[in-house]
Amino acid sequence: MKPTLEAVAVSTTFSDAGGGRISALDKVDARFLRGQLSVIVGPSGSGKSTLLHALAGIVVPDEGRVVSGTVDLSTLDEARRDAWRLTHCGMVFQDFRLIDELDALANTLLPAQFMHLRVPAALRQRAQSLLTEFGLPVRSGPVARLSRGEQQRVALARAMLLDPPILLADEATASLDAENGQRIADALLAVARTGKTVIAVTHDDKLAALADQRIMLKAGRVVVPEQVQR
Amino acid sequence: MNPWPLIRAALARYRWSALAFILLVAAGVALSVALVSQERALRSGSARAADRFDLIVAAPGSRTDSLLASVFLRPGNSQLLSPAFSAALLNDTRGSFVSPLAFGDSHHGQPVVGVTAALVDHLSGGLAEGRGFAIRTEAVVGAASALKVGEHFHPAHGVHHNGEAHGGDDGLDAHEVEITVVGRMKPTGSPWDRAVMVPVELVWETHNLPAGHAPTSTQLGPPFDQAFTPGIPAAVVRTANLAEAYKLRRAYTGRESMAFFPAEALIQLYSVLGDIRQLMSLLAVVTQALVLLSIIASVFILFRLLTPQFVTLRALGAPRRFVFVVAWGFTASLMIVGIVAGLLGGFGLSFGISWWLAKAIGISLQPQLGWEEVLMASVLLVVGLVLAVLPAWRLQRLSLAGALKDY
Repeated sequence: MKPTLEAVAVSTTFSDAGGGRISALDKVDARFLRGQLSVIVGPSGSGKSTLLHALAGIVVPDEGRVVSGTVDLSTLDEARRDAWRLTHCGMVFQDFRLIDELDALANTLLPAQFMHLRVPAALRQRAQSLLTEFGLPVRSGPVARLSRGEQQRVALARAMLLDPPILLADEATASLDAENGQRIADALLAVARTGKTVIAVTHDDKLAALADQRIMLKAGRVVVPEQVQR
Repeated sequence: MNPWPLIRAALARYRWSALAFILLVAAGVALSVALVSQERALRSGSARAADRFDLIVAAPGSRTDSLLASVFLRPGNSQLLSPAFSAALLNDTRGSFVSPLAFGDSHHGQPVVGVTAALVDHLSGGLAEGRGFAIRTEAVVGAASALKVGEHFHPAHGVHHNGEAHGGDDGLDAHEVEITVVGRMKPTGSPWDRAVMVPVELVWETHNLPAGHAPTSTQLGPPFDQAFTPGIPAAVVRTANLAEAYKLRRAYTGRESMAFFPAEALIQLYSVLGDIRQLMSLLAVVTQALVLLSIIASVFILFRLLTPQFVTLRALGAPRRFVFVVAWGFTASLMIVGIVAGLLGGFGLSFGISWWLAKAIGISLQPQLGWEEVLMASVLLVVGLVLAVLPAWRLQRLSLAGALKDY
């Protein structure tokens, strides 16, 4: 099966405080398939988030390529990578990164505001459906008043608004209690089963246990690419 | 794109800071607007007040003092024209009329001015109520006077500008004469609206001066008997046309007297007023510039606090220009609301000052929002909107990869 998203010999370096270069990723190869939940695991500082950002087109590799279908993200300028990310990648963060003053619906509709002066009715309806699907009230008042689990589900609804083929989650369960963590993990798997490519950076064993593919990074290198057979 | 929900959210998050910024901008703008609007209102109000005084003849000295005394009823220590000269002037038939102005008395803060019936009729353009004075103990009051037609009063010696307690009916320095109000003038928009006009003969008489006519005479107005006419501080000359006015101005400008059009003295006053306004405008502009700069500096700090939100937008796929528009829109909103509030507040302030001035000096002022104020506010708005680019530009230039790690 042709991967939805692929990292090919991706290497990145960062400048340290002294002006030297630190290798964050070293010739990382990874393939992510449609309908699968993949997790990137590894100790802190191993390059997990850097790989996720490279896959999202946020970080441009010094060497290697990130390919989505026929598009080589590494060759796109920043504006095109932004546009690609908006339409192809939903993103979920550890600390939700919601706009506290807006309600659940307004937060969910946020990606639509980047493109439309008036949000089309179809997108508004989709946002409402997603919130209902994730067990959230459409009109909630400011999201800051919601529980942490509810806030992360709003973030998940926001990521899914434009129906992107890829969902990237960065420690999406890390700041949640066990019950809410499990609920988000189940939701990520359910999203994958709808035909999306879901890639999650995690330390959460329960989420990792649900994954179709586990990629372990250590010091910027893939240690154990593992395809889990189910 | 629609940045407004995010601008609104940022304004809501920092609502107290936003309110403080808006108040700062509004206060700066309001002061400038009130200054300009009030100065213009003062010019037009004073010009309107002086409009009915064609030519003023007074003893040589300060035109401004004579103008303040005759038009604005703020008499100072001006010299008197000689009795002979005064009689000749008052009996001059080249103009439509010549009315003496005799000051020195008041009633509950309202100046009691000795004039001729012709001046009352001319100033008022026909009375609003009652009739003109026909005998020496009758008076016509200005439109804003507290005295009613039919009311009697005793004038007091001395001029009281501020309406404080004084002689008169309370017994201090009161003249014995009782005056009856027989008419009320139409509004003139000048300090004369608060004045009490009595026959000049009465003022002379109550001050133990010859009353302009033979002692047994009860005549009012011209012709005045040269043998019984005292010196006067000033006279108002009404002329039929401009050429006549210039002729009389020339005729009465000499060693013994000066003659001038009120506009000539007003221009001198406006020049001083203009200088003061320029200085204050400069101070206001400097204040506004400092306010704008301090706001921009504060916005830089606020944006550091808001950076995680902006980074999130970029991570979700928002283009840099969207982040720029949100950040710029936040500052621009503060500027726009502050400047519009300042314009309206300045207009309100100008109204308040006009009300107070009208009460204090009797000139009716009608402040308006003029192009100058709108232009000034517009320039400030443009400068503010341009300055707002700086923090927005800096914010949208943040490296997303680096910012995601830091925030």
